[in-house]
Amino acid sequence: MIALKEVRKEYLQPNGERLRVLENITFEIAEGMFSSLLGPSGCGKSTILNLIAKLDRHTSGDILVNGNKIGFVFQQPRLLNWRTVTDNVALPLERDNSDKRGRRELAVKYLDLVGLSGFENYYPLQLSGGMQQRVAIARALVIDPDILLMDEPFSGLDEFTARKLRQELIRIWRETGKTIVFVTHSISEAVFLSEQILIVSQKPATIFKRVTVDVPYPREYGDLRLFEIETSLTRDFLEMNSER
Amino acid sequence: MNTIHRILSIVSLVLAWLILSFVFSPTIVPGPFAVLQAMWENVRSGQAFYHLYKTLFRVGFGLVLTMALGIAFGTAMGLSRRAEVFLESWVMVGLTLPAIVYSIICLLWFGLNDFAAIVAIGASAFPAVGISIWQGIKGMDTQLVSMGNAFKLSKGAIIRKIIFPQLLPHILAAMRYALGICWKICTTVELIGMSSGVGFMLNYWFGLFSMSQVFAWTLLFLLVMFAIEYLLFKPVEKRLTKWRNDVPIPLSA
Ligand SMILES: Nc1ncnc2c1ncn2[C@@H]1O[C@H](COP(=O)(O)OP(=O)(O)O)[C@@H](O)[C@H]1O
Ligand SMILES: [Mg+2]
Repeated sequence: MIALKEVRKEYLQPNGERLRVLENITFEIAEGMFSSLLGPSGCGKSTILNLIAKLDRHTSGDILVNGNKIGFVFQQPRLLNWRTVTDNVALPLERDNSDKRGRRELAVKYLDLVGLSGFENYYPLQLSGGMQQRVAIARALVIDPDILLMDEPFSGLDEFTARKLRQELIRIWRETGKTIVFVTHSISEAVFLSEQILIVSQKPATIFKRVTVDVPYPREYGDLRLFEIETSLTRDFLEMNSER
Repeated sequence: MNTIHRILSIVSLVLAWLILSFVFSPTIVPGPFAVLQAMWENVRSGQAFYHLYKTLFRVGFGLVLTMALGIAFGTAMGLSRRAEVFLESWVMVGLTLPAIVYSIICLLWFGLNDFAAIVAIGASAFPAVGISIWQGIKGMDTQLVSMGNAFKLSKGAIIRKIIFPQLLPHILAAMRYALGICWKICTTVELIGMSSGVGFMLNYWFGLFSMSQVFAWTLLFLLVMFAIEYLLFKPVEKRLTKWRNDVPIPLSA
């Protein structure tokens, strides 16, 4: 479970002033759930994710994270270009004292899961953007995390590739049952993927609304129920912006 | 394809030399045959090996000192803002003073010996290396470091597996460049204060106005440089950068 209670985050700016990015963030995410943080660019979604991953410290409030292993997928693949695909995926395993063979085997298994078998010995620069992002997903999964944090992982990709990867992500999630927190600024992406959507408001950020998407998986693109939820979310967004 | 171009490039150089030697008298531009003959004499008498060894010894240790100082300064400046401010003026002074100044000072301080030569080389060449490493660290992808943090890699692992590999091409490029500078400074030091080495021999034959010998020693010097480039640097670089897509920049015709 992930629970944030009245979390506030301020950044110290170069001119000495404090910039309040998160005002009063409170939400709960149950184990095994697929949740999205949805909001406009610059509203503080990445900041929330970084706080959950303990990459940054919050100013006040409480953050509770149950589950000790966290896998992180960034907006850009962030691969080590000088390592092969397999060695990239094996990177997070290297802190354990496991043997090299075992690490490689595990990496190859997860490359297969993301549909990259046959590319084990390629270097990242020899792959397309979509394939690189799959490698990044395999790297996050290889540690068998309890929680998977994804920060706009598909926003740099073309829509066809992104659609395919979304469907694969849902498949992997349903196979592994991990808790996923997915950050996006795309309403349709959030609706297609999530069981619950947390709408993050613009500066300083609060959780404007929590929406559950009660449509069973596997979902289809063009499903009318999804479309309706999208429309009502768009209305919420307009309302949220006019309040400010 | 590449080999043909390389051979063509060398052949064109020799040809240009040959033509120049016909245009000018042998006391100004001696021809390739006279020069090769002089070189052969030096090799047979063992002179070539002795002086080359002395120069290589000084350049080798000078290069080690250069890289050590350069990497230390560059890393400090790249990682710490305070070190950057503090060391910047040092590096600027080091970069501005002509190598001959260091050579003279070192020879006066330490005497006419190898140690003085090595210190002079290190002092003159390290600022360029330092700046290159410094820029390398500044231009590093910090997002990769935060990726390492997200996956809970230790500080040591991040330095070894994420930071160092990004710096390696810079270190290699700096080393190549530094080798060229070290050679030049070494000959200068040998010319003004040593009684051995390629620089000393150049000066010696200069005194005797033997152009073919001056050319012979220059050529020897060049050959050794080529050997180091093609037998050492190129293969190492190729190994280290095999992950790069080896395609030329696609400027359309
Ligand atoms: N390290 C930082 N120092 C100062 N301000 C920051 C820092 N990181 C983010 N911010 C600011 O916090 C706000 C939210 O950033 P972010 O969480 O990246 O937004 P999002 O991911 O929703 O696009 C932005 O206005 C950004 O300028
Ligand atoms: Mg962001």
